[in-house]
Amino acid sequence: MRLLKAMLALQASEGAVTDAALRDLARREGVPLYRLEGLRSFYPVFRKHPGKAMQVEVCRDLVCCMAADGDPVRQVREALADRDDVDVRAVSCLGQCDRAPAAMVDHRPVTGPADGIRACLSGEQMAPESGTLPSGRWATDPYKAAEQYYTTVHALLTESEPDAVIRALKDAGLRGLGGAAFPTGMKWDFTRRAPGGEKYVICNADESEPGTFKDRVILEDLPHLVIEGMLIGAWVIGARRGIIYLRHEYGAARKALETAIAEAYQRGILGEAAFGPGRGFDLEVFVSPGGYIMGEETALLEALEDRRGEPRNKPPFPTDAGLHGKPTLINNVETFAAVPAICGRGADWWAAQGLGDHKGLKFVSVSGDVERPGVHCVPWGTTARQVLELCGGLVGSQPLKAFSPGGASTSFLPPEKLDTPLDFDAMQGAGSALGTGAMVFVAGHRDLLDVTLAQLRFFRNESCGKCVPCRVGSHKAVEMVEQVQRGERAGPGIALEALHRTLARTSICGLGQVALLPLVEALRTFPDEPSLQPLRGEE
Amino acid sequence: MATEHVSLTIDGRSVSVPAGASIWDAAARLGIHIPVLCHDPRLRPVGVCRLCVVDTGERTLAAACVRPCQDGMEVRTDSEEVEAHRRMLLELLLSEQPDRSAREETTGDDALYALARRYGIREILLPDGGEGTPRGRDASSPVIDVDHQACILCDRCVRGCDEIQHNDVITRTGKGYGTRIAFDLDVSMAESTCVSCGECVAVCPTGALTHKAVRGLRLEEGA
Ligand code: SF4
Repeated sequence: MRLLKAMLALQASEGAVTDAALRDLARREGVPLYRLEGLRSFYPVFRKHPGKAMQVEVCRDLVCCMAADGDPVRQVREALADRDDVDVRAVSCLGQCDRAPAAMVDHRPVTGPADGIRACLSGEQMAPESGTLPSGRWATDPYKAAEQYYTTVHALLTESEPDAVIRALKDAGLRGLGGAAFPTGMKWDFTRRAPGGEKYVICNADESEPGTFKDRVILEDLPHLVIEGMLIGAWVIGARRGIIYLRHEYGAARKALETAIAEAYQRGILGEAAFGPGRGFDLEVFVSPGGYIMGEETALLEALEDRRGEPRNKPPFPTDAGLHGKPTLINNVETFAAVPAICGRGADWWAAQGLGDHKGLKFVSVSGDVERPGVHCVPWGTTARQVLELCGGLVGSQPLKAFSPGGASTSFLPPEKLDTPLDFDAMQGAGSALGTGAMVFVAGHRDLLDVTLAQLRFFRNESCGKCVPCRVGSHKAVEMVEQVQRGERAGPGIALEALHRTLARTSICGLGQVALLPLVEALRTFPDEPSLQPLRGEE
Repeated sequence: MATEHVSLTIDGRSVSVPAGASIWDAAARLGIHIPVLCHDPRLRPVGVCRLCVVDTGERTLAAACVRPCQDGMEVRTDSEEVEAHRRMLLELLLSEQPDRSAREETTGDDALYALARRYGIREILLPDGGEGTPRGRDASSPVIDVDHQACILCDRCVRGCDEIQHNDVITRTGKGYGTRIAFDLDVSMAESTCVSCGECVAVCPTGALTHKAVRGLRLEEGA
């Protein structure tokens, strides 16, 4: 983290990480120049030269394109054409899909279409500071008052043992809520049993998939639950050190976390006697230098080891060889935040929160053409239709064309599937996946080609470039579709399917494996969609 | 302590290798040469070209050069599916190549071209990314010619420079489709700390890094 922290500090103070600064850093740290160039050019926060006085970053991804009814980046560029003191940059999803179209002005989130940004620049309008929903109303929070925070972990320390926690997580049926759905109890068990004295616990707070913003709300509203979940994890696996890997765009979340961590240190919950005399635990926030791929857990580890955030070949998995080769427990924000309730109220309580056979509670991020986009914490087993109703239905009571149940890496489903319950297996049965629980609803007037191409472009833009299928294949796929749009190529549907099969089977990580999925699957799921016909060619 | 061994089958043939050995190495013991571009036995494997993917019965295919053998593994190196993916990967790489390979024209050992011949690839239907060589060249060094368009980002030059010569000059710069190799803080090769040892040329599988001295010397055309 040393090199990246030094470079982040330079970027913050100088507005750039210049060649001269890197030469100096290389000398001080005794590292070759090429290594620093590799870092500077890989992470989007770094700039080689200082930019203009004001920086505007505009989201270019699906939900913001929908909200702007076009290209939000172009709209902002046009609206600010007369401002030569402003840099306008297109960026990937900012995790503000509930306030789409979204942008950042000098690293502060702003919302609304292009003229809203103009207003922000002139100081007429203030940026929103925190979550959209009132705090203190989340069912996963077992506490009524701040004095009660961390009572669960303290009860465990005196009255329980690590294996009982693992059993509770297994009984609760908790699975990774960052998208991968790996059984949490099993992951904790593997890491606990992995040989090695030094272990780490890491919270993956780098959610960046278009449509996903639930972790932002959890971090802003329930930072103490995330910290307590990590403490319990650290105690179970035997870690002395924890890191929260946070995406840099989440300024309010950072503030909430750092305040909560400082309080926990003050109360002795964190620090040298966290688990009793001589058994300390230290926790810090590491602010990511950017990029969706950093949410891939081994890419995240590479970043923490001061390398380009390129996913590792697996095995070994982080549970055996993670940070600096040591066993490392990595869970998503929502997963850690669920742990105190499961340990405090019991696995039975947690299981009973679900509907029917489904166990537990799930945060969903809802965006797109709905009346009230936002985050909801619902019982597992709630149907997509019920979630849509919670958000006030579609804007203007339009008909629904399609919905994505889980984010950019999951296939769109037709309205007939609205009664599918929120559940990993049920969504798979319906022909998609629950992913991160990022539900994007698409109204009848939209073209599914635009919608699925936006997802494909996102993956192309965020590919790390390490492996051939994803680096070259995602780019070729975008080019082929664009050629069809310009009338230069006839239906490459079959070629896209073959390309998708190769990416799905040979890419190193999940990004390449799913990059073409929403587009290719839409060809199958929506046989009558007019906008997709040109892709099909003759059949 | 005796070395631990693991036993597995590759294309139906049994083999026993020291624990930790890669599938690629185990296959080589059986005389099975799994095609690969980014791997060189002298270098730490990175598994990025994906040509050496093999079927181990898992959800995704494994890169044989980096995947350690496991006891009881059943590996297929040449199934129809695996070969189809290799062909697609080659087509992806070839669609980005410049019109001519400086390596094929000089020493005649461009490994990408050799694989294209082996897989009988004649026509590429993917959009042409090599036209007009948008990635450019770097002819600044007196001895080494850099053709970025021919680079497949196999990382061999990076590792050769680091691990074999300890000169620490080459990196990948940029990200995603825009990635290319660079020297020091992305300066020209002549301005960089390169000492012209030639290791990168020796390990490069394509026409990306070639010796200037032998340019123009025409060896026999490939079959
Ligand atoms: S699949 Fe894409 S993002 Fe993942 S390692 Fe390969 S190039 Fe990088």
